[in-house]
Amino acid sequence: MPSADLHRTSGRRRQLAALAAGAAIAPLLLAGCGGDDDSAGGATSLVEGVESPVQAIDNSFRPEEVTVAAGTEVVWTNDGRNEHNVLPADEAESWGVQVTDFEPGDEYRHRFTEPGTYAYYCSLHGTKDKGMVGTIVVTDGAEG
Amino acid sequence: MRRTRILLGAAVVLLLVVSAACSSDDSSEEGTGDTSGATVPAGPTGTTINVPEDHATIQEAVDAAAPGDLILIAPGTYEEAVDVETENLTIRGLDRNEVILDGGFELENGIRVLADGVAVENMTAQNYTTNGFYWTGVTGYRGSYLTAYRNGDYGIYAFDSVTGQFDNSYASGSPDAGFYIGQCYPCDAVIIDVISEYNGLGYSGTNSGGDMYILNSRFNNNRAGIVPNTGSYELCYPERESTIIGNVVYDNNQPDTPAIGSALDAMGNGIILPGGVDNVIERNLVFDHDLGGIVLVPFPEEGASDLPPDESTWDTPCEETKDDPVTTEEIPDLIFWQPIGNSVTGNVVSGSKLGDLAVGTVDADVSTLGNCFADNTFETTAPVDLEALAPCDGDPTATDWENGAFDLIALIATEKPPSVDYQEAPTPEPPAQENMPDAATAPARPATDVPMSVDLDSIQVPERPEGL
Repeated sequence: MPSADLHRTSGRRRQLAALAAGAAIAPLLLAGCGGDDDSAGGATSLVEGVESPVQAIDNSFRPEEVTVAAGTEVVWTNDGRNEHNVLPADEAESWGVQVTDFEPGDEYRHRFTEPGTYAYYCSLHGTKDKGMVGTIVVTDGAEG
Repeated sequence: MRRTRILLGAAVVLLLVVSAACSSDDSSEEGTGDTSGATVPAGPTGTTINVPEDHATIQEAVDAAAPGDLILIAPGTYEEAVDVETENLTIRGLDRNEVILDGGFELENGIRVLADGVAVENMTAQNYTTNGFYWTGVTGYRGSYLTAYRNGDYGIYAFDSVTGQFDNSYASGSPDAGFYIGQCYPCDAVIIDVISEYNGLGYSGTNSGGDMYILNSRFNNNRAGIVPNTGSYELCYPERESTIIGNVVYDNNQPDTPAIGSALDAMGNGIILPGGVDNVIERNLVFDHDLGGIVLVPFPEEGASDLPPDESTWDTPCEETKDDPVTTEEIPDLIFWQPIGNSVTGNVVSGSKLGDLAVGTVDADVSTLGNCFADNTFETTAPVDLEALAPCDGDPTATDWENGAFDLIALIATEKPPSVDYQEAPTPEPPAQENMPDAATAPARPATDVPMSVDLDSIQVPERPEGL
């Protein structure tokens, strides 16, 4: 039974809800503004200033799968009472956060700029494909 | 490759049968590198893999194994952290007290199981930074005749797992729980004949329940004894429908154990249910606690990640709620998970300074929560005359809930000795523990026949241990 004492930001839950709302709305607004047209030249268009939240609780990522537009900054928060980390399943990738920088109450951010599927996991509570795992699906910004 | 291995296995069995017929060697003899277990038939489909004879490490043996195989480990110290991803293995030490997995305060888990149906038997895991024995996300698990000593989080631990059993095992020196089963409903699990001492919590189960039984076990000298609990920091809230019968629970006031924050909060209580729902606590012997004997309290959760679900959804299996989106409503900075509908009957409780039987709450009318108390033997209750205020059958014969109301402030505010680092805590060396019968000769038994069936009606209130 993990501890009840916390060192987290009051009202952070509301901030996450706002972030989620922003994540849903911003790509639509940007698309409506006629940003980069992927169909014209094949280049990925990036959304700006968009964040998408993921909770790391004990011992799950919630939601487990998130679909975001390229350019989105995914924000993981350790909402559990245990230690966790966030590690890309593909070891060639260089994002992620170690336990020491992701204590309960901490957050970690990474901006995904390339479309693709990014699997990740917590090595304390899972392996690359079992246990505490998650996936970020990054779409082209114009499609997000 | 698999065919080759089967043929080799058959040849080994044949050779050993012939050898056994020609020899009077006693295969139960012990010693480092003893491979006598190779005489064991693994079962109708599996083969036997010996460590270190066939593979130098347990991990190598596990990686080489196929479902149904038996891995037999000779006495020795194994400095490794084992991950198991093959189903239906039986991993067994030949001597519980001499097959030692040692994490050296650097490795995370002694054995971590991520596959269904894996049984681990008859060995010790110590000095791991997180857990001794750990099953996660599986259907079918069993830990029998295990010793977990001085590990940095849990001793023997099943998370997000169903259909399991922990039996005849021992855990000490963990800051969280010696034994833990969490995030499952229905859990379909049994903990029976275990000993948990000198931990932060003897037993903890966050958001677990439903065919979840804790039976005939001993919980003593932890910070707190048996602690089923609720919180939104794990999925499948609330904790509900655990059955706790026939346990001996005493002296859970230990001031010098490692302890997480909740163990400090719960310290000094025998059986305490923060936010527990519809639990059955029956025929336990509980004595000598600095605060409460059997205690029902709310769990105050600061910074919750979700709101409590509607009561109408509590019978929904965990598998169906895990992917539910969190609420879009504003979550208060502090929410209270109330203790609701618990039944406390037929227990023998004494020596509790704040009340042998107690219930209290904040942010709710305690008289309306549906908890009941009956047929217990006790000296004190808080509030006074609790069995008359909240009987399990019939109408209350008392109404004054304020008289001697449970002092939640004292429960929470009492200063507790700080945690001691798990590496430094004076956790007594585990006494030699009973070995599983016929470890060298018993066939493989993967966790496909669990949990065991128990006649609950036959369980009596335990006798007080000698000398106490």
